[in-house]
Amino acid sequence: MLKTIITREFLNNILNLRFMIGLVLCIIVTFACIMILAHDYQQELEDYNIRVNLQDEFLRNYAYRDGLFRMIPRQKPPERFRPLIIGISGDENVESFDDNPLPILFPPFDFLFIVTIIMSLLAILFSYDTITGERQSGTLRLVISNSISRTKILFGKLVGGAASLLIPFILSLLVGGLYISINPSIQWDGSAWAEFGLLTAASITFITLFYLLGLMISTFSRYPATSILNCLFLWVLLILVIPNICPHISAQLYRIPSIKETERKDLEIEIHSLKVAREYMKESVKKFKLKYGTLFSEFESMEFGGVGFLIDAKPKHRIAARQRADADPEFKAMMDAFREEGKKAQKELIRIREESDMLWDDLETKAAVQTKLAKNLACISPYANFIYVARDLTGTGLRSLEYFEQVKDEHGKQFWPYVDKKVQDAQKNDPKFTWASFLDLGDYPRFEFKEEALKDKLIEVLPYWGILVLFNVVFFAAAFAGFMRYDVR
Amino acid sequence: MLKSIIRKEILSNLLSYKFSIIIILSTILILVSIFVMYRDYCLALENYEILRRTKSEDTVVVIPPTPLGIFAKGLDENLCRSYEDGYGGRIHASSKQQSLNNLFKLFTAPDLLYVIKVILSLCAMLFAFDIVSGEKEIGTLRQSLSCSLKRPILIIGKWIGGFTSFILPFFIAVLLGTIFVTLSPVVDINAQNWAKLGLFLLSSVIYLAVFFSLGLLISCLTHRSSTSLVISLFVWAIFVFIIPNLGHILARQLVRIPTVQQLELKLKQSSIKRWFEKRRVDDSQHRRIDNRIRAENEKFLEDYRNRFNRLAKVSQNITRFSPAAAFTLLATDIMGTGMAEERRLKRAVLQYLKDRDDKMLGYQRSSVKEVLGRGGMSNCLILILFNILFFTGAHVAFLRYDVR
Repeated sequence: MLKTIITREFLNNILNLRFMIGLVLCIIVTFACIMILAHDYQQELEDYNIRVNLQDEFLRNYAYRDGLFRMIPRQKPPERFRPLIIGISGDENVESFDDNPLPILFPPFDFLFIVTIIMSLLAILFSYDTITGERQSGTLRLVISNSISRTKILFGKLVGGAASLLIPFILSLLVGGLYISINPSIQWDGSAWAEFGLLTAASITFITLFYLLGLMISTFSRYPATSILNCLFLWVLLILVIPNICPHISAQLYRIPSIKETERKDLEIEIHSLKVAREYMKESVKKFKLKYGTLFSEFESMEFGGVGFLIDAKPKHRIAARQRADADPEFKAMMDAFREEGKKAQKELIRIREESDMLWDDLETKAAVQTKLAKNLACISPYANFIYVARDLTGTGLRSLEYFEQVKDEHGKQFWPYVDKKVQDAQKNDPKFTWASFLDLGDYPRFEFKEEALKDKLIEVLPYWGILVLFNVVFFAAAFAGFMRYDVR
Repeated sequence: MLKSIIRKEILSNLLSYKFSIIIILSTILILVSIFVMYRDYCLALENYEILRRTKSEDTVVVIPPTPLGIFAKGLDENLCRSYEDGYGGRIHASSKQQSLNNLFKLFTAPDLLYVIKVILSLCAMLFAFDIVSGEKEIGTLRQSLSCSLKRPILIIGKWIGGFTSFILPFFIAVLLGTIFVTLSPVVDINAQNWAKLGLFLLSSVIYLAVFFSLGLLISCLTHRSSTSLVISLFVWAIFVFIIPNLGHILARQLVRIPTVQQLELKLKQSSIKRWFEKRRVDDSQHRRIDNRIRAENEKFLEDYRNRFNRLAKVSQNITRFSPAAAFTLLATDIMGTGMAEERRLKRAVLQYLKDRDDKMLGYQRSSVKEVLGRGGMSNCLILILFNILFFTGAHVAFLRYDVR
């Protein structure tokens, strides 16, 4: 009997107009979206290669040790899921005068959009009249008058309805998957296809959730017109309102210091530290003048020891000072003693600047707390949970930004020891080598972005996926309770 | 007769469940949205005070957030960054305060513009989808037409009655929200802003009328309310989400433009290059290096900006096929938080840097006259055109409608 109900529900749905519209819309929109995004991905990839080449070429010509910290070669490639989902941009383009403001006005359209808006709406349209429609047409009491339990009817309706709903979705995904597999510019390995499979599973969890929501509302309503209104009311709240309001609520509940204010304080600390260090050096200069007299004046004339002690002297002066120190041990002793004083001043400067590190740490910690609060608040909406699962699984979400920072740090751990070794070698080969000299970095460790392990991603997304499953269970339980008491007359 | 139809339509709407639920939803949403965005404006104002206090001699401009951002935030956060003169034509924009919380990147600002564009347009469709097909189903339509009532009078009466019952509660909710905002000592709305707010509300009414007419058209083309509901929802999704959001990506396929990351990388490299090159030579040659690198930068910046302007134009032209996009562009332009204002500000910054003045750039947002003068009303005309098209379609379809 269960099989009959499932078959009937399934056939009833696929012969309906909404199925045809859903099918056509899903396939056309998904295919168009994947085709356009795949082309966009190709352009992004070309742009990424240009950036990598630009950096390589720049390093070949301008690899001076004292400027290297400003040109570390780390470019983020476009996400491999870019043909499906548009990732969140990192910090690299938020401070540009020329950034593109259009995505703020019109958020990008991608696979997530299809699932969260079109499929959830379709799910509601498939289920809102499952019970109320049959009650109104009178077929429900005919079915109930047979020796079939209400549990079986509800279960049959759920399976049959959900199966017919998922057909347009699975078909459109198959078309999209086929396009991705034959497109030569998209190279997906086994893990990418596994992620694609998991993304499909998460999407199905999300779509069935809205089917169950419609079913639940249907079991608590008398007329289809009432149930569709209630469904749309909840859909608007869960998809369009709650997730968008949560970041603003969290910003009100948990305030974080202003970036500009932090920058100002940082600058104040920097000025103060320089002032303290300069005062210290002024005192040292006075002491050295008293102690060494003309010898120190000679040293000062080489542009050492002035108020700009922290700025490196020009290479010609450095060489002259070194030659003078080699020739005169007393000059050398004075130079070493003065260098020690310089180190003490540097130490004091670093100690004061630690306050500025604390400021930035505090800002980062508070920003992380606010983000977490917003993230947790938004969890009351299935939409937010699905976004977290889908984005983090495919490396296009907030976690991917954190992960990129980790990969950058890892690269730094290879790059800087490599540079230090190069400097040591250069110093051995050329005694005149200074921090302002050119370094040959032809074989520097290239930055290669590797996707995070699927296992780690899964561990991260499981709680949110669990919430989606919980929503499914709750809606089904409510639909079950509602249907058990439903007056079929 | 027209008066009776309008009255009947209003009364039947007022007594319906649909009316109660839509009114509760829209009132709550409008009030919550205005409150949330008001708090957001207070934070933006605090941030502006900090930016003003901490401005340096390189700061070109810092503009205050507009109170109209409470209703349509648009690009206000972009506009309210401080712009500073950098090396070689590079202009630094300060970080946006909301960039600290990455969740803002995932979700949209829930301002009144969003509520009207997405939620109230859906409500308008829900109000109109069964005006004709619903009456046909219950049989009242043929009774109405069995007397000497003309079809054009009936359809016009239904449109006026239905739309009035839908729009009046919207005005009440917006009025309550506006009173709350204006009572706050933080918000200073001057005459210009009142005029802009009035224009914004007028354009909202025109926009909602488009969706109401569209719902009516679909109702006149179908014979069952369930069918018209399904079609209405799909058409709504296409107009509100698919066309505007796909349009921008589509435009990028038509106009090739390097990413802003590539642009920033080139500017950064030229600044380092200049540092190294100057170190290698005598002081007398520094100016020559500065001039050469500035000329190089200006060349590719100009190329990038020209391409970007073309991209923005193509993107806007594609998305205008959707009333939702035309309304977004129109509303943000009226409120001084749109693309036109951003372009105007950037142009002013570039001009200022060309002319060089000791004083900071004193920038004022566009006045109502300027907004209307620079073709801002073309989007309004598009909305009116959509209205005429859909209503004429509904009228023609109703004249041929089989009421049996």
